[in-house]
Amino acid sequence: MKSSKRKNIKSMHHKTASKAPVDLKSVRKKKRAEEIPNQPNTGMLKRREFFMLLVFTLSLFFMLYRVGFIQFVKGEEYQKKAYYTQTQKRQINPKRGTIYDRNGKGLAISASVDTVSVNPNALRSELNNDPGELQELAEGLAEILDMDAMDVMKVFNRNSRFEYVKRKIDRELGARVRNYVVQEKGIKNIYIDEDSKRYYPNGSLAAHILGFTGIDDQGLAGIELKLDATLKGMPGKIMNEVDVLGRPISFSKERYVEAVDGYDVFLTIDETIQYFTQKAIEQAALDYNLKRGAAAIVMNPNTGEVLAMASYPDFDPNHPDAKPYFVDNPEWLGFASVEDTELLWQTVFRNRAVNDTYEPGSTFKAITAAAALEEGVVTPETTVVCKPYSLAGHTINCWRAGGHGQEDFTHAVYNSCNPVFVQEALAVGIEKFYTYVRMFGFQKRTGLEISGEPTDEEYRNLWHKEPKEIDLAVTGFGQRFQISPIQLASAYCAIANGGNLMKPMLVKQISDSNGNIIQKFEPQVVRKVISEETSKTIRTILEGVVSEGTGKNAYVSGYRIAGKTGTSETLQTESEGRYVVSFAAFAPADKPEIVVLLVLDHPQVAMHLRSGGILAAPVAGKLCEDILEYLQVERQYSERDMKEMTEEVYVPSLVGLTVSEAIEKLKAYGLKYVVEGSQAEDAVVKDQTPKADFSIPQNSTVIIYTEGSPENNMVPMPDLTNKTVDEATATMKNLGLNIRIRGEGMALRQQYEPGTPLQKGEVVDVEFMLLIAD
Amino acid sequence: MKRKREYDFWLLFTVMVLLAMGVIMVFSASSYYAAYNWNNKFHFLIRQLLWSCVGLVCMFVISNIDYRRLAIISPVLMLISIVLLILVAIPGIGAKYNDARRWFNLGFTTFQPSELMKLSLIMFLSFSLAKNSGKLRFFFRGLVPYLLIVGFVDLLLLLEPHYSCAVLITLVAVVILFCAGARIFHFLAIGVPTIAAAACLVISSEYRLQRFLAFLDPFADPQGSGYQAVNSLYAIASGSIFGRGLGKSLQKYLYIPEPQNDFIFSIVAEELGFVGAFTVIVLFLLLIWRGVRISMNAPDMMGSLMAIGITSLVAIETIINIAVVTATLPVTGMPLPFISYGGTSMLFVLASMGILLNISRNSVNNFNPVRGSELLKRARQGEG
Ligand SMILES: [Zn+2]
Repeated sequence: MKSSKRKNIKSMHHKTASKAPVDLKSVRKKKRAEEIPNQPNTGMLKRREFFMLLVFTLSLFFMLYRVGFIQFVKGEEYQKKAYYTQTQKRQINPKRGTIYDRNGKGLAISASVDTVSVNPNALRSELNNDPGELQELAEGLAEILDMDAMDVMKVFNRNSRFEYVKRKIDRELGARVRNYVVQEKGIKNIYIDEDSKRYYPNGSLAAHILGFTGIDDQGLAGIELKLDATLKGMPGKIMNEVDVLGRPISFSKERYVEAVDGYDVFLTIDETIQYFTQKAIEQAALDYNLKRGAAAIVMNPNTGEVLAMASYPDFDPNHPDAKPYFVDNPEWLGFASVEDTELLWQTVFRNRAVNDTYEPGSTFKAITAAAALEEGVVTPETTVVCKPYSLAGHTINCWRAGGHGQEDFTHAVYNSCNPVFVQEALAVGIEKFYTYVRMFGFQKRTGLEISGEPTDEEYRNLWHKEPKEIDLAVTGFGQRFQISPIQLASAYCAIANGGNLMKPMLVKQISDSNGNIIQKFEPQVVRKVISEETSKTIRTILEGVVSEGTGKNAYVSGYRIAGKTGTSETLQTESEGRYVVSFAAFAPADKPEIVVLLVLDHPQVAMHLRSGGILAAPVAGKLCEDILEYLQVERQYSERDMKEMTEEVYVPSLVGLTVSEAIEKLKAYGLKYVVEGSQAEDAVVKDQTPKADFSIPQNSTVIIYTEGSPENNMVPMPDLTNKTVDEATATMKNLGLNIRIRGEGMALRQQYEPGTPLQKGEVVDVEFMLLIAD
Repeated sequence: MKRKREYDFWLLFTVMVLLAMGVIMVFSASSYYAAYNWNNKFHFLIRQLLWSCVGLVCMFVISNIDYRRLAIISPVLMLISIVLLILVAIPGIGAKYNDARRWFNLGFTTFQPSELMKLSLIMFLSFSLAKNSGKLRFFFRGLVPYLLIVGFVDLLLLLEPHYSCAVLITLVAVVILFCAGARIFHFLAIGVPTIAAAACLVISSEYRLQRFLAFLDPFADPQGSGYQAVNSLYAIASGSIFGRGLGKSLQKYLYIPEPQNDFIFSIVAEELGFVGAFTVIVLFLLLIWRGVRISMNAPDMMGSLMAIGITSLVAIETIINIAVVTATLPVTGMPLPFISYGGTSMLFVLASMGILLNISRNSVNNFNPVRGSELLKRARQGEG
């Protein structure tokens, strides 16, 4: 108040004091200016000076507008750009979640490794742009990292703030780099950051389920791909505000956004069962020279959990692009070549249990039987006739020429009689039959949590569009349409578990790195397909298939295995041996705990051996036995088992005894004998075949020597191929050899090649096989 | 008629505030640069403080010397300036820096004769025109001789070369001549061909063309020719309304080369935001207003022309500087008066403020913006 008042007074005073004289003066001056040119024109001077004030003021206002424009209109855009130049960011990779089997055994693990990176701009400035020092550093680093110094120099000379030098090296090597760079050289702009590297401790175990990852830890196949978002976690970052040379600014705190580790995934897979399954198909692939590989699935029928899923040929996810064994190309480039990559996806990466489809053949008869029984068109005791069946100009024959004639339905299943199944399918009728087909989950994705399963449409296209009677007839015994192994395995689960179609599952649980459960997957019933009663009936019939019918080669004494063989000739390839043989089984038959499906594609064996009953059944039987034993399912020996089981005994040591003593001892062991040399009772035994402590079947013959030696008592191994058990036993006995019988039927394999010289009394393993055409 | 009056308070106030801001901002902007180059983050702060004090002393001394006495020696100053400008262009005498020979190295500091020339020319033109303003209406008799003097000075500046100073001196001279009564038509007759010639000059040189093109789109080559403009824009844009806070500029971390010099305004905008930039611009407006007011109230034509010359020197420097940092004009070496770091240039700016203050002390003080319009009206009637 006071000051403003004073100001007013002051300005008033100014006005009164100087207004009048200046006015007069200026007017006077102006007048004079016109007369005398040298006199200034004060009016114009002030006008023009005032004009300049306006010009400057407007210009400065325009500058203010420019500042505002840059800050408010362009602000965000420029700030973003500024942020990128002012900030240096280093990513910290999260630890990818572990993939465990159902029992918590690690199948895919991320190991801690180190990654070496550099801020080239800052590094050069740190070394004062001395090329000599830079070169020295590059050479030192290259030596530790086993790289070319030229390549390291190239990285150092990039105009950049972040470059990798080498990624994912051992921690030990990382420590050496740290020691060299930080301790020895005192360099600040080379970073050794923790990183993680995926590895698969069991090599090819469950390779198709697990898949594999790329250099950035991204999932590229299998569960790694399907659950990539779950497994990968959130990358963290180290952010620094840096000066133009990339050196952190002192007041800016290093912003550290911690990486969030990925979630762990627990599969339904059992590592051990997976191992058995993989071994089984690998062995089958070798034995039968499978031209197109093999697939196998083991499921828990009560929950739909996949316990094992294998495909052959397989790969090692630690080195997914390694050259497959069947490739000869010496210039194999792996992922670096488009052709090689394509080949890998077509062969070893293919998960045949889910990605591939095939004609199921007779294994599908279980579904036909289930439909027929459920619909009541047949009972196990119904009498049916197996003879060539004519329909729409086609004749359908049984695999046995002329058919099996009159039999009950149970035996028609045992014998896998095609004409009978044609009749039953027709009796169910087109509409109802295909309803069962869909109810069992065919023509639709199973929804297994893994990539590569065909779509619903792709599945439908593998079936007849508008089925006629003839189509239905051949469908009844499993031909002229295709399904995927996972579909059939799921359908068998429904048959085995009392009639519920379960959604097959591969993932049991997702939990965070502290073990807290994030998500738990419960078994899911898709629908009730058949009644408990029908399920029970089929279980009994299919058990009979293994104990008495075409599945006999899958028989395992002590375990009640039920199953069905399958053989189909595929029209997909023209090549020789275009067969797919398979076996679908579950066990134990009265209370199923596992379903096993085995599919062997294109076996290259003698023509008469190409059937599921001969090739697939024994493999499946052995696999079931291994799994059941592992699951500690107790064996329940039937009377027949007891009878067939020949006990083994350990050969006693006879050397030094008298002949009479030796004979007495052998009798006590249930063994027969032949004495070579002196037969005198008190003669001393000098040698024996088999030697002491050998395990041999009871009733075998032990050769005891009082004179001479086993080396001088050799016989050649006979050829037993295609001999029956009795014939083979007689042949061996005549030669003085012992036989250990495995299986029944015809001799398929013998331990030694024909002609091999053997000591008399030696025990030879001989494998027998029932010759079954389906 | 010699009444001892007070200094123009608002002018003095504005100068002091701007100087204070300058010291603070030079320290903030230069500390990292200084630590990087001289291992001493106070390097520029100390010098800026020192020069400000020396400058202030100089300003007060000069404000007590009657400007008319100073004006009398202006022809001598003019001659000295011309001799120094010639000397500085001779290799071995003038120090070369960035391909230009503009400085004398005095050991403890450098000295730009062009700074002296700016002031000398303003004083000389005012001194001369106060006597000969009547002739200015004539082209050859009046305007041309002055333009020849300015042209000669420009020529010397182009030898260094120091284009921005040549442009500045020409503009200031034009303002003085304009206010002294030269005809607008005459300016157009010379100005239009000159601008055309300047355009040709720009196109003829690859270097200048590049600079010009970079100005049109600095983001076309953000690492090369557009580098300074782009980083200046980043700094200004980062400021937003209230800025990052004093001392918290990121662009001063060597992104902007020599951030304490020509681009200090962008650091002000980054650290203090729009509010800070607005404050600085308002302070300059205040200063210019007081300067023009002093010129309009000057007791005689010489004082009036000297005041408008000094004011327009500061105004044009300010406008060009802010125009450059906001990428409104191509990049050219023009410091922001009072705020940019600068040894001798600071001395001369404050010396010129001393002259301005002295003129204000002799002011007839009859100007009032409201009354001014009436005054003008009356003056026009008188003319008619
Ligand atoms: Zn039959």
